[in-house]
Amino acid sequence: MNAFAIATNWLGNAPDFAVPYALAALGLILTERAGVLSLGAEGLMLVGALAGIGAQLAFGEPGIALVVAMLAASLVSVLFAVMTILLRVNQVIAGLALVFFCQGLTSLLGTLFGWTNRAVDSFAALPLGPLAALPLVGRLFEQNIVVYLTLPIFLGVVWYLTRTSAGLRLRAVGENPQAADAAGINVTAWRFAAVLAGAALVGLAGAYISVVSTKLWIAGMTGGRGWIAVGLVIFARWSPWKALVGAVLFGCIEALIPQLAAAGVRLPQYFVLMTPYVVTLAVMVWVAVGRRGSDGEPGALGEPYLREERR
Amino acid sequence: MPWHRQAVILAVSLALGMGISAAILVAAGVPANELLNEFVLQTLFDMQSLQAVLFQAAPMVLVGLGAAMAFRARFWNLGLEGQMIFGAIGATAISFYDIGPPALRLPLMLAMAIAMGLLWALAPVLLKLRLGVNEIISSLMLNYIAGNFLLHLVYGAWKDPKDSFPYSPQFRPFERLPEWFGSTGPTAIALALGVALLAWWFVGVSRAGLYLRFVNANPRMAHAVGVPVRRMILAAVLLSGALSGIAGFVVVAGQEGRLTQAFYAGYGFSGILIAFLARNNPLAATVVAVLVAALFVAGRNLQVFYQIPFSMVQLIQAIVVICVACSDFFIRHRIRSVQ
Repeated sequence: MNAFAIATNWLGNAPDFAVPYALAALGLILTERAGVLSLGAEGLMLVGALAGIGAQLAFGEPGIALVVAMLAASLVSVLFAVMTILLRVNQVIAGLALVFFCQGLTSLLGTLFGWTNRAVDSFAALPLGPLAALPLVGRLFEQNIVVYLTLPIFLGVVWYLTRTSAGLRLRAVGENPQAADAAGINVTAWRFAAVLAGAALVGLAGAYISVVSTKLWIAGMTGGRGWIAVGLVIFARWSPWKALVGAVLFGCIEALIPQLAAAGVRLPQYFVLMTPYVVTLAVMVWVAVGRRGSDGEPGALGEPYLREERR
Repeated sequence: MPWHRQAVILAVSLALGMGISAAILVAAGVPANELLNEFVLQTLFDMQSLQAVLFQAAPMVLVGLGAAMAFRARFWNLGLEGQMIFGAIGATAISFYDIGPPALRLPLMLAMAIAMGLLWALAPVLLKLRLGVNEIISSLMLNYIAGNFLLHLVYGAWKDPKDSFPYSPQFRPFERLPEWFGSTGPTAIALALGVALLAWWFVGVSRAGLYLRFVNANPRMAHAVGVPVRRMILAAVLLSGALSGIAGFVVVAGQEGRLTQAFYAGYGFSGILIAFLARNNPLAATVVAVLVAALFVAGRNLQVFYQIPFSMVQLIQAIVVICVACSDFFIRHRIRSVQ
């Protein structure tokens, strides 16, 4: 294969790898901007992935499958919300418990229902008219509908967070819950809503992996992508656009691996499989070296709020 | 709140967790009247199962202690599995490259396992102390890296040439834990109990243990009264890595007798769960670890007799953690109805 074809394929496949990172990171940002430290992404992605495949096997309509996945992830995140917001369980413990709960649950249900390794149909690629005929970058404009929708979803969330009074309230709850409470904002309700809405996006990311990308379910198929998304949010300093850039970066790296193999570059397989994790680690270190203060981090991230509590 | 009310609340939450777990097991196809039989009688009163529990308990105790050490320094070491993998790789390297005389082989393997586990814990703690890198993410990423490196070895250079399975060659007899009462299980559990006693001494009696309690209660105050906070965190996390390394050694030199591709599965979360339920107390962690080991053995029996996937064990563990974590709220707060 020549270099041109490889570059074309690489660019064409990168969005498919980038979308789950982007959506999961966006969901995490939405939750964490309200002050709830959300470590459960890995688990909620698995819930979304399994629910999506289940719905796809039942209805055969990928759009419905993605919506079901979002609802399922939101439903499971109620458990997390009750633990952290109402019962004020340590948010790290609650997040970890959620991940392990979801890993066990999805692996068990996938096996009991017999959904493992059953191939499903999914969205077809939608070429964007003449753009898809361009050389080199043409395949960038021949993606499935969810890839195209990711940009409007980002625009919508950013607009909501920065341009609406509801978004301002959500951020206030995350920066200074005492002040928000004094201003008449119901901290508990806003945090609950932020957890559920964020979980829906994380679930969508998981369902993208199973329903749209690989088109089947395997236990533990997210393979640490949820954790990488958590790292990505720290890298992006809780800014959606930077998170999108990070997601595209990760997508490009992951998409490069099969292309290198196709080009005949012989790399030790398991070292290649390490790449996303090594890159995450490197990115975290790089951000830490260049960091000034705790810019961008929500002020009350990880802190439970109770009105009567003394500070 | 008086201790007996705390105990009642804790007992209720544990009972609730087990009740939910039992309901899930019944829903998954285990006959309800067989539950007690399967879980308690078969596991603890059957000689063979009991032996399996002891086998399983030794590495469990060690990872539980490892997690407790790091958590005492307020460091979320989620890299227990990676440190275990590198401990096992270190021990196997001594065997694979035939280093040292046979009489010294086992101590060398243990020392190498400790060193490698410690090294794998060094990166996240240094990154945290020097640069403030979130240790949850960094130690988890190192798990995935270690797991892939393990696969690289057992599918590549270290593959047993005798057959086509992904594991290292069988250890020679002098490279395995000595047998005691006819198996290596009691030796492993004796080693683990010895380490637990040392950990108890370290935490409860030594000066470092006292310092660590300061750090756990309030790092800034500890610093103000002259406790070397950063050094204490470093020491606790390295100790945690070393303990996980020993756990890896116990699995390869005891249970397995060789390096296998997924020997570490499930230990990471179990270690965290053990430390959490035991409130980072070494002796309590030992007891909880034996119970978790019994759960693992029961889970394997269920897999054989009822085709219940082993992930059930993970689900039950998570449910118990969630119930106990939630019970804390009712211990710290009193609920009254407002007129």
